[in-house]
Amino acid sequence: MKRIGPLLTLLGGLLLALFMLTLNATTGSASKATSAGDTVSASPTATRPPTTSAPPSPSASPTPAPSRSAPANADYAGRTDDDSSAVAVSLRDGRAIAYFCDGRDQESWLRGDVAEDGSMRLTGKTGGVLAGKLADGRIRGTVDLGGQRHTFTAEKAVKPSGLYRATATVRGAEIDGGWIVLPGGRQVGILNRDGAPGAAPEIDPETGAVTVDGQELTARPVTP
Amino acid sequence: MTVDPNAATQGFASPQPVPRRPGAARFLMPALVAAAVAVALGAYGRVHDPAGTAFNLAGFSSTSAVKSWLATASFGFALVQIVSALMIYGRLPGPGWAAALHRWSGRVAFLVAVPVAVHCLYALGYQTYTPRVMWHSALGCFFFGIFSAKMLLLRSERLPGWLLPVVGGLVFAALTVVWLTSALWFFRTFGVTT
Repeated sequence: MKRIGPLLTLLGGLLLALFMLTLNATTGSASKATSAGDTVSASPTATRPPTTSAPPSPSASPTPAPSRSAPANADYAGRTDDDSSAVAVSLRDGRAIAYFCDGRDQESWLRGDVAEDGSMRLTGKTGGVLAGKLADGRIRGTVDLGGQRHTFTAEKAVKPSGLYRATATVRGAEIDGGWIVLPGGRQVGILNRDGAPGAAPEIDPETGAVTVDGQELTARPVTP
Repeated sequence: MTVDPNAATQGFASPQPVPRRPGAARFLMPALVAAAVAVALGAYGRVHDPAGTAFNLAGFSSTSAVKSWLATASFGFALVQIVSALMIYGRLPGPGWAAALHRWSGRVAFLVAVPVAVHCLYALGYQTYTPRVMWHSALGCFFFGIFSAKMLLLRSERLPGWLLPVVGGLVFAALTVVWLTSALWFFRTFGVTT
C-alpha cells in the first residue's frame, strides 16, 4: 500500500505556492505602478487620500514588454556636481525610477523608460525632468527642478546603498519619506509630513528601520 | 493507546531481509528530491531579481508583519508536531487521534509556511549580507527540501525505526532556526506589531 496523503500535502503546497506567485506577478505589477516601492501602509494604497507627494498614478508607466534588450537591472546613486543634492536611479526591465533630493526641502520622484542605448528621460509628477545616459557602469546627466539645472553622476550602488521609501500614517499625519543611501554609507533624505518636507531621520540601511515621531517604520528599496 | 495504524514505517523487524536494491532507491529518491527542492529554491532566490514588494494583507502594517505572524503560527503547529509525534511513538500518553493530529497539524504548519516562503523568495531573494540573513536563506531552502524528503519517506514501508524521527527532527530544527532568524528577530526589532 502506498500512502497518498503525503504526496497530496506536497502537491497542495506546490499549488498554493504557484497560486501566490501568480497573484504576486499580477497584483505585484499593478501595485508597483500605483506606489513606488513597497510601502508601510495600514490600509490598501487605493483607499488612502492622495497627498501632494502622492505616488505616481497608474497611468504613469504602462508595463513594457521585458523582452527587448534593456539595460541590466541595477541601482545607481550619486551626488550632483555642486555637491548640494543626491540622485538615485533604479532600473528594472527597461523602466526607471529616480529620486532627486537635497536633504532639506527639494525633492522629486521621477519615472520613465530607458532606451536600449542606456539613455533615459524621466519626469516627475510634481515637476522636474531627469535626462541621463548609462555608460561604463554609471549614469551621467542633469536634473531640472525648480528652475535650476543640476549635473550629476550616479555610480552603481549595491545593497545596502540605494534608494528607499517609506509611507505610513503616524498619528493622523501622512508620512512619506525618501532616502538615498550613497556608496560609503552617507544618507540624504526628506520626510514629508502631510506634504510638508523636512529633514529625514536616518534609516538603518540594513533593515530599513527608521523612527518617525516615535513610531518605528520600515523603509523599503524602491523599484519602478 | 498510541499505535498509529498508518505508522508502518516504525518498522517491525521484517521476517525476510529487505532486498538491497529497492532499499537504496527508497532512501536515494527522497534525498535527491530534497536536494533538488532546496537547490532550486535557493537558485531561484539568487538568480531572480528580488521584486522588493508583493501584495499585503489588509489590517497589517507591512508584509513583514504578516509573514512574522504566519511564521509564528507555523512554528506553533510545529510544536504540536513534536508533542503528537512523541504520542505516536508512545513516549507521551496521548489520545487515539494523536496520529491524525500529527498529520493535520503538519499539513497546516506546512501550508501556512508556503506563502511566507513565496514572499521571501519573490520579494527578497536569497541573501547573505549578514550572518542572520545567510542562515535564514540557507535553512529556509533546506527546510522545504527536508520536508519534501520527509513526505516521500512516509510513503516507504519498513524504514529503519530511527529514520523518520531524525528527519522529522531536522524539519523541526530547520523551521525553528528559520523562525528565530526572521519572525523573532522582527518582533524584537520592530516590536510585536500587526
